[in-house]
Amino acid sequence: MKIRFWGVRGSFAMSGRDFLRYGGNTTSVELVTKSGERLLIDLGTGATELAKTLMAGEFGKGHGTLPILLSHTHLDHIQGLPFFTPFFIKGNTIRILGANPMAGTSLEATLQQQLAPHYSPLNGLENLAAGVSIETITAGDKLQVPGFDVVTAPVPHGSMWTTAYRITADGKTVTYLSDVEYPTPDEPVDIALALAQDADLLIHDAMHADDDYEQRRGWGHSPARAGVVVAERAGAKKLALFHHSPDATDDMIDEVVARTAARTAVPIFAAAEGSYLDV
Amino acid sequence: MQITFWGVRGSYPVPGAATVRYGGQTSCVEARSSSGDCVIVDAGTGMRALGNKLLREAKAPQHHHVLLSHVHWDHIQGLPFFSPAYVPGTKISVYALLTAADELQQVIGGITRHEFFPVPLEAVPAHFEFHQVEPEVEFDIDGFHVVPIALNHPFGSVGYRIDCDGSSWAYVSDTAPFDQVLHKQHFLPGPEPLSADDRVALAAMREALVRRLDGVDTVIYDTHFLPDEFARFPHYGHSTPDQALEICALARVRRLVLYHHAPSHSDEQMDKIAAEYLAKGAAVGIEVLTSAEGMTLEVGPARPLAPAPTRPPAGSEIV
Repeated sequence: MKIRFWGVRGSFAMSGRDFLRYGGNTTSVELVTKSGERLLIDLGTGATELAKTLMAGEFGKGHGTLPILLSHTHLDHIQGLPFFTPFFIKGNTIRILGANPMAGTSLEATLQQQLAPHYSPLNGLENLAAGVSIETITAGDKLQVPGFDVVTAPVPHGSMWTTAYRITADGKTVTYLSDVEYPTPDEPVDIALALAQDADLLIHDAMHADDDYEQRRGWGHSPARAGVVVAERAGAKKLALFHHSPDATDDMIDEVVARTAARTAVPIFAAAEGSYLDV
Repeated sequence: MQITFWGVRGSYPVPGAATVRYGGQTSCVEARSSSGDCVIVDAGTGMRALGNKLLREAKAPQHHHVLLSHVHWDHIQGLPFFSPAYVPGTKISVYALLTAADELQQVIGGITRHEFFPVPLEAVPAHFEFHQVEPEVEFDIDGFHVVPIALNHPFGSVGYRIDCDGSSWAYVSDTAPFDQVLHKQHFLPGPEPLSADDRVALAAMREALVRRLDGVDTVIYDTHFLPDEFARFPHYGHSTPDQALEICALARVRRLVLYHHAPSHSDEQMDKIAAEYLAKGAAVGIEVLTSAEGMTLEVGPARPLAPAPTRPPAGSEIV
């Protein structure tokens, strides 16, 4: 299985020369199996970059198929949806899978609201030319996605829950734990540990530098060390720090990586926009 | 009066190596009078950096005024990240073209509902006020005299002429040219045939825009598309620099600023666009600048023949 980070930034897309090496696009991660099945996690602005690549291939001809898993519907995770060009080509088949954002609403209603006429000239999911299905899941479900085994779990994110994913293909496992905050960074919830058990790659929320975390406790995000604790306890083989703060310049991220790596034997790196990596 | 560009991009923010010089953040412009009063036009992602600057400079909580052209995402997405909003005592007045101020409150509140953003509008410490604007109904904010102008964009949009300190500029974004009816519809799958009434209405809209821009020193205009792109997407609600030049020439504008750059236009392409339209503008006596994030412009005086900004002479609407 290969992985490519198309967007690694949390909260807000950052442009400019301070954000060139790690990238300024908001979250979007692509997984591809050896036999070519593809899966996307989250639809931040990074997805608009992936869209260009997809449109050059079968998606441009209306023959593309893509499942998209959403961790949740905060704007930085769905910001790219109205500009994800494969949606505009008839014949493409795109599934969007995610949990209900909150009681009393549905995933479909929330995405409709994003495309409501005030906010978007698309004026509703029904105007997307591709075949788009919105599938509400319950975090905890196992999902049927061709080529991938997907296990889900609800994890705490401030006043709400996000869906974390454990995705296995070609005998390799990637765990996606973005937008998560535990009671303390040293006490990850059991469900997160279970999801990351023996993962080949753990992608973990590292929005805050460890020193900044105290002032931002309760905002729903983790300091870099929380990912280390999960990786060590769950036996994950590699850790990718993810969902970088919009205030974190390339140099600041370098520093976080250096300091975090010095405290653990788990190989770590900061997720960066760029090329396909082997899991 | 000075204007500063905090976001110049259309549709969505575009990080990366290709947008370093012109900038990747979406629509947001700050106007400042000689006495230091400030009005913000549009609340795209550029508003985050503006908010951080305003907060650094402020000695006490401020009253901020935000004029919105319309509420598509690329024009409001910076609002939840405007740091002064989280300082108690701050007041934020939002002006927009909507059927009622309470509808505006719902729309702005809608961007921070639980599903989309962790802090709902009700929980934000700043006090928000919502004002409905109507085309041609003028109003004043501190020393700024503001004239809203109807534009042709899906679901409606409004431009602003702003006069202050004897200088005059206008913000004309987002708008298509005036040969397709876009302003009444939410969504148009493609160009549609026009009725006779449509033609009359569009001509009147264009005429009103030219009249309101008459003699303005600096006009910021939606020039999202190049002509070949426009030919493919004439119903998307955006203009080309050629169409902007045509309006500005009719209105005897001194300077046109290209704005709302397409997300796909790289810095290199923008350099070419800037050079090409500088020359095209010079040929018709208009200085054409291409906006870039961080650029500050000194706005010149309105031309004397322009209608007096505070009290238009009777019958000026017939000109």
